[in-house]
Amino acid sequence: MNKLHECLITLHNPVAPNHYRMVLQSKDIAGHSSPGQFLMLEISAGYYPFLRRPMSIERIFSDGVSILYKVCGEGTKILSTLSVGEKINVQGPLGNSFPIPKEYQQYLIIAGGIGVAPFPALVEKILNVRGVAPEIILAGKDYTHLLCEKDFRQMGCKTHLVTEDGSAGDMGLATDILKKLNITGPTIVYTCGPLPMIKNVHKICIERKWLCYASLEAEMACGEGVCLGCVVPAKIEVENEMMARVCKEGPIFDTQVILWEKIGE
Amino acid sequence: MNVNLQVSIGNLTLKNPVTVASGTFGYGEEYSEYFDISELGAVTVKSLTLQPRLGNIPPRIVETPAGMLNAIGLQNVGIENYLKYKLPFLRKQNCTIIANIYGTSIEEYVKLAEYLEKEGGADAIEMNLSCPNVHDARNKFKCPLIAQSPEWVEKYTSAVRSSVKLPLIVKLSPNITDITEPALSAERGGADGISIINTLLGMSINTHTRRPKLKNVVGGLSGPAIRPVALKMVWDVSRTVKIPVIGMGGICTTSDALEFIIAGARVVAVGSYLFRDPLAPIRIIQGLRDYCISNHLDDINNLVGSITVD
Repeated sequence: MNKLHECLITLHNPVAPNHYRMVLQSKDIAGHSSPGQFLMLEISAGYYPFLRRPMSIERIFSDGVSILYKVCGEGTKILSTLSVGEKINVQGPLGNSFPIPKEYQQYLIIAGGIGVAPFPALVEKILNVRGVAPEIILAGKDYTHLLCEKDFRQMGCKTHLVTEDGSAGDMGLATDILKKLNITGPTIVYTCGPLPMIKNVHKICIERKWLCYASLEAEMACGEGVCLGCVVPAKIEVENEMMARVCKEGPIFDTQVILWEKIGE
Repeated sequence: MNVNLQVSIGNLTLKNPVTVASGTFGYGEEYSEYFDISELGAVTVKSLTLQPRLGNIPPRIVETPAGMLNAIGLQNVGIENYLKYKLPFLRKQNCTIIANIYGTSIEEYVKLAEYLEKEGGADAIEMNLSCPNVHDARNKFKCPLIAQSPEWVEKYTSAVRSSVKLPLIVKLSPNITDITEPALSAERGGADGISIINTLLGMSINTHTRRPKLKNVVGGLSGPAIRPVALKMVWDVSRTVKIPVIGMGGICTTSDALEFIIAGARVVAVGSYLFRDPLAPIRIIQGLRDYCISNHLDDINNLVGSITVD
């Protein structure tokens, strides 16, 4: 399949301070995408910025996909100035996707800030294939960092809010809520957000013997596995340490394969 | 009009003068989903070492103005896994293969080259004498590269030259006062071609944490930012040595490739720009053909080094 697409921007709205949603028209991308995969966006025609920007797929429609992003540097700043009706070169879909194993009856999603980006598509898929609405913990610095809450409630998800300053939901961290949740039985956890949060979610999941999948973020150059720039220390082959490519072996990893002791805070 | 795009390095003939820079194309599998990789003049594979290498601790890359810094640290599958798992794919695609090798001693380079020749693992060998990312910059701010010593370049080159028959290319570093000196040494040592340039050493600092953005502290700069530097070195070297020069450094478009060829490069390589546009080499091959037609050139070799300096 062709992975390079000139996509029409059919929607581009601010959803919170510094956060935007963009809908990209492409039946080809939509038809081949799975929740958890990402796209590489060409931000400008020139050499500034030089590299594409990796973006999680937020939702998959019949004729396109959406992305949800935070302006955090020069690339996303330029991206945020593009208008509906303009075209943008998109590479993808890339990377692996969230596994949805059958033997788990409970699905729990833990999103920190813009880490929520890949989850609306995952919720839709779990609803479709398992008929269950996942429970969700939405965590952020303050109320402006809690995105997609309405979408999740509309999809029937029980949603817990938590902010560091207490401006929405409980005051605290995602893991504070996770520890309090009264869940028993085989549970699968999906998480994405700041690395310290993922690491702590992973520790709790280990204690409870829950399977945990994390979507990792990394600075990327190629998105296709050739540059080896986005690697994370992992133990994917039996007894064999490797530098796993976030763009190719990931971005979704079973958190047990990540060599957390080799990753700095 | 029929245009000859064939060029030669030693006794190796490339169907066209476009290859890819080692380390920007893996072992060919990934980008074969984008185009028929046998259309390239040659596929230059990621550096191979005797044993597999994990490479440096991340972060390994950082974007810079019109380019990027990398400190990958030669992560690779090792020669044996290459021969077993990567080579069959490249052969099946019918690619001309330039195998880039990296050793920590003359003996390792010789072993790698002999192994490749014995197993039919390459159509030419590129000796990486210029990787900037395999020394610990914290302890050793002066990172000596073989390519920085003309004397060592000749020793390494002639040792490999006398052990294999395969066409031999030596890849040199721009981190030197006069690149023509190691280039002449490579030629004296028996090289069939010279690849220039490897990356330029650079660094970048996070002003909030006051720490280097790369875990390795320093890395190699590539991309259009280095193109004028690379072009000048290609011009310098190609008028100094008689063997072919493989020019690389920030080539993105046909026009960029033409500049290198006119300056004296027999072959050009696309590097970091592949990350932005995987189809760039294919566009350049077609672009070179179109240029020759519109300029009534029936052989691209006539364009090599055709620069006029008034």
